[in-house]
Amino acid sequence: MAGASSSGGPSKEATAEFSPPANREHILEVADALERNGITCTVVDTPEEAREAVLSILPVGAEVYNNTSRTLEVVGIAEDIERSGQYQPLRPRLYQMDREMQRREMRQLSASPDWVVGSVHAVTEEGSLLFASASGSQLGPIASGAGHVVLVVGAQKIVSDFDAGLRRIYDYCFPLEDLRARQAYGVPSGVNNVLVINKAVAPGRTTVILVAVPLGF
Amino acid sequence: MSMIDYDARPVTPQVVLVGHRASSVGYSIRDFLSRNGVPYEWVDVEDTARVANVLTEGDTDVDRLPLCVLPNGTRIAPATVEDVAAGLGMLSDPMLSEYDVAIVGAGPAGLAASVYAASEGLRAVAIEAVAPGGQAGTTSMIENYLGFPQGISGSELATRATAQAKRFGTELLLARRLADVTRDGPGYVAHLSDGTAVRSRSMLVASGVDWRRLEVPGIDELLGSGVYYGAGPSEAVTCSGCRVAIVGGGNSAGQAVIRFSRYAANVTLLVRGGSLEASMSHYLISQIKELGNVEVRTNTEVIGLESDARLRALTISTGGTVARLPAEALFVCIGGVPRTQGAANVGVALDGAGYVRTGGELAAAAGALGDWSLSRQPLPLETNLPGLFAAGDVRSGSIKRCAAAIGEGSMSIALVHQRLAEVGGE
Repeated sequence: MAGASSSGGPSKEATAEFSPPANREHILEVADALERNGITCTVVDTPEEAREAVLSILPVGAEVYNNTSRTLEVVGIAEDIERSGQYQPLRPRLYQMDREMQRREMRQLSASPDWVVGSVHAVTEEGSLLFASASGSQLGPIASGAGHVVLVVGAQKIVSDFDAGLRRIYDYCFPLEDLRARQAYGVPSGVNNVLVINKAVAPGRTTVILVAVPLGF
Repeated sequence: MSMIDYDARPVTPQVVLVGHRASSVGYSIRDFLSRNGVPYEWVDVEDTARVANVLTEGDTDVDRLPLCVLPNGTRIAPATVEDVAAGLGMLSDPMLSEYDVAIVGAGPAGLAASVYAASEGLRAVAIEAVAPGGQAGTTSMIENYLGFPQGISGSELATRATAQAKRFGTELLLARRLADVTRDGPGYVAHLSDGTAVRSRSMLVASGVDWRRLEVPGIDELLGSGVYYGAGPSEAVTCSGCRVAIVGGGNSAGQAVIRFSRYAANVTLLVRGGSLEASMSHYLISQIKELGNVEVRTNTEVIGLESDARLRALTISTGGTVARLPAEALFVCIGGVPRTQGAANVGVALDGAGYVRTGGELAAAAGALGDWSLSRQPLPLETNLPGLFAAGDVRSGSIKRCAAAIGEGSMSIALVHQRLAEVGGE
């Protein structure tokens, strides 16, 4: 499987397979599958509606961690969380903490936010969610640490099954993310940690907002 | 920087501050932003590559530094603390024409009072000159505060307390000092440095202390240019690889030593007394002993400074023997003087050292009660002015510890309730 190192982005074949959005019928079927797995799912048509849906879920004053996500930046949710003044955003708070003296506090704060907002790398027709992370720090909260999870997912992220989801991560998402990390941080990324959620056992904890257009990677 | 650090960076544009490293105004802004938890990027104007990287348009006019670029793109040059605070939307006007209690100072005592006041239904406003948290907010790690077995950083304690106070509904008026207090019937009016007037039925003075000044020739000219009062949390990273000197023998100095030892090439603690045991908590002394890049010099005073545009070295005297100590940064933590200037004109009784007298001490000190007009004695924490209370480090006889200040701030509200019932209309 590809993904050990990358430069120049995904192949044409991977782009052709993993970038087109699913059609509405397909989206609705995936929404039903997510609901059967205990994941609340809302289907919207536009990024603007996705943004409104997230804002309607997040309580004013909530402690929120917004994951590193191209989807959230494109939709405008990252800015809402970090700069609207309506929430207690954790990223700015973490950024100004003393990494030497407050490392433990940083770890604890980022491990269990009341709300985490992010996206996925793939969602299967059976209603499973796949995530990859270089550091792993954003996976723990999604799996169990956060009180509530809100995920905004573009329609191009729907795949047939688990194997296709992993291929999407390695062959499509990772090359794009690697390029982004090198440009933004000067360091490469890596498929170092992978999380798969097949079923959500805590009622009402996890919400997916499926958007009928491509968003993010 | 680790990958986790990238996960902690805000993804939206943050404040960018460009200026000279030795600029005292630049330091004031960094200190304000840091203590208020506002992420910022500091760019030394001499680092032309970084300047070009962070500024997308225009040249940097060196006569109008420091330059501040706000997240919305607005440029402020030359920037001041007040302009930056206003640009970030941190300045607000009082929402009410009258409050039940005005709390002067949002350090531990003021924040505790803010939480209790609002949680018990009082209309409360806190007035803070710099940032919530006060002196405790700049402490790197408080390890003996109840309930935190692993310790809690001062900034985290301040952040949580502020969120708590806001959640209950206390208003917070930032970046303005108390300029004067006048009486308004049974209540008071707080006059702030920007002309804002805040009317309240009672008042709590929890303004803490200013750092005691070190009497060394030329020190004032170097403030912010290598010399700092207090722990200077905004300077920790900028002191990486530097030689740091810290003056003081108390817990604040000890905390500063531990913080800067993580970043500095070496830290020298200069203590006027013969040992640390008389003035510093035992756990801090133990930690300092274990630090390999820290030297403690007792019986030592600073008697001179060497500088060009910024600090370069100290002249120290140890038992009469003079020596030169190279240092790029000096942090002065030699105790406090009570911050009572704003309340001076209203006639609050002070002790010989300038701390606010309260409660039973007023009856014991001849003449301290002044024109006290009520048949009852002053309540605990109440000054010689009915309905004007004091709590925390500014109060005469208080135990100068964070937990004590929090306790006094908390209990002050029960006393405020008594006063409000007394004047009616609660």
